[in-house]
Amino acid sequence: MNLFREIWQSIVRRDPLSTDKGKSELVFLNVWLHIHPAKVKKENMKFRHSFYLGFITFFLFLILVTTGIVLMVYYRPFPPQAYQDMKDLEFVVFMGPFLRGMHRWAAHGMVVCVFLHMCRVFYTGSYKKPRQFNWVVGVFLFLLTLGLSFTGYLLPWDQLAYWAITVGSNIGSYAPLVGGQLREWLLGGHSVGEAALVRFYVLHVAVLPAAMILFTIVHFWRVRKDGGLSRPIWKLAPPKAAPLVTIGAPAASAAPLKASAASSTKTYGLMEVVTGKPIFETITPEEEEDTVFSYPYAFVREAVALMVTVTGIMMMSLFFHAPLEELANPAKTPNPAKAPWYFLGLQELVSHSAMLGGVVAPALMVLALLAIPYIDRNPSRRPSDRKWAIWLFTLFVVINLVLIVVGTFFRGPGWALVPPWVHVVGGAE
Amino acid sequence: MNRRSFFKLSWGTVGVGALVSALGVSFAAILRFLKPNVFYEPPQAFKIGTPGDFPFGAPTFLVEEKIFIFRDREKGFSAASAVCTHLGCTVAHFQSDQKFHCPCHGSVFGADGAAQHGPAPRALDWFEVTLARDGQLRVDKDKVVPSSYRLMV
Repeated sequence: MNLFREIWQSIVRRDPLSTDKGKSELVFLNVWLHIHPAKVKKENMKFRHSFYLGFITFFLFLILVTTGIVLMVYYRPFPPQAYQDMKDLEFVVFMGPFLRGMHRWAAHGMVVCVFLHMCRVFYTGSYKKPRQFNWVVGVFLFLLTLGLSFTGYLLPWDQLAYWAITVGSNIGSYAPLVGGQLREWLLGGHSVGEAALVRFYVLHVAVLPAAMILFTIVHFWRVRKDGGLSRPIWKLAPPKAAPLVTIGAPAASAAPLKASAASSTKTYGLMEVVTGKPIFETITPEEEEDTVFSYPYAFVREAVALMVTVTGIMMMSLFFHAPLEELANPAKTPNPAKAPWYFLGLQELVSHSAMLGGVVAPALMVLALLAIPYIDRNPSRRPSDRKWAIWLFTLFVVINLVLIVVGTFFRGPGWALVPPWVHVVGGAE
Repeated sequence: MNRRSFFKLSWGTVGVGALVSALGVSFAAILRFLKPNVFYEPPQAFKIGTPGDFPFGAPTFLVEEKIFIFRDREKGFSAASAVCTHLGCTVAHFQSDQKFHCPCHGSVFGADGAAQHGPAPRALDWFEVTLARDGQLRVDKDKVVPSSYRLMV
């Protein structure tokens, strides 16, 4: 028994979890857990502050990586085989439809959750100083999510995939100067074909996931370095409260902190003494009291979020099948031919003007998103102090949603305006 | 500026410059590498059959080539692209109104291919039709001609 004990202790090398020291060491002696702080602020972990959307997005990404790797085993990225492999997954492979379903619903869920996460961060003002740059990283993660979804869309090589990508890649060709080149470079040809499939495959399974992981690391790192999860709105200090006290470096105007004698029961490690103020948020004594050990408080909540996410995606895959249309047919455009739903707002814009709707409007939208933390210099995070910002962002969200809903449900054959409750018989051929 | 800082600056510039240009050239090479030298695609110029294969009146749609072949009793042969100039969907030719309709965004092109309705930015392309030595019709998609172009056989 002693040997087993020794082996176990050689692995974990920490005090028992019943002690505070053990709880701290669990976090900072473990390479996977030490992205967490040893202690978290209880209120910041409240569900009604963040809705755990960032966690859920990350868990969806984990599901996507896992199911994606398994699906790769049965997939060959060449035009006729790719579609046959889909059929195999549907009818031959053990749990094939379930795995494909999980991959699909997790992908769609990720687009939704990234967007909702962005909304939450905006409405709680959590992109404000010192978190401006992390908002920018987040916008890139959003774009990468769309890129991964778009490249994944082509892989089944059915009619839906083929025409969605034809329309999508042609939108890109309207970009000034580089447009045509960009399209040829992306497709490896003049139309969506064999070369395009391999390229999209490489982007989907190697290039974009790698970029996604790199950006995610930066994103998480900055969450920590920018002061952890943001303070919930309801915990913000009243507008004209006393200035924040900087632990260790009291402002000249503030009353000097009473130095407490070093406790004989704690040990302190001192890395280095440098002058200057810390860049991250400093905490008030009230916040200090609010903290609890990450183990078990934060870990239990994250585990529940993970379980709910996985279960939700599994349920979706059990009850809703990932669609598969007939083999891609370059000669026959389905009517109407629609891009993936998250691009239908864009397609709706493009149906009015290719240049304005397909290039100028989306480029401006992305630039505006990137610039938000630098344009909105109002330091207050209280909703009552930032009515304009909230109105403008809500307008942006509503416009996008309306465009997507119109493109998805109100566009029939020939892109004519057809309400979803009207059934078109035959359609224009 | 003294001797020491001069050398520091100049060697620094040379070093950073060498690194940046080496990386720049490498990445440019990668970008170029991704642009194919040869496209394994159907040829842009191809034979479509003898004139007698094509009926008068309604155009013949060639699926692989994505072109419409028109044969008019007085005017002769012409070939129109079936690729919508908007986002590349395949247009359909309606006998009822003699126009081309795109299923994707509702663009409509007149009988001469001119964009009449919808988001299409320009007219459909018309391609050169010639008679090859062996008596077959030959279409060259690299040669765009005015919509008035006809080949009399």
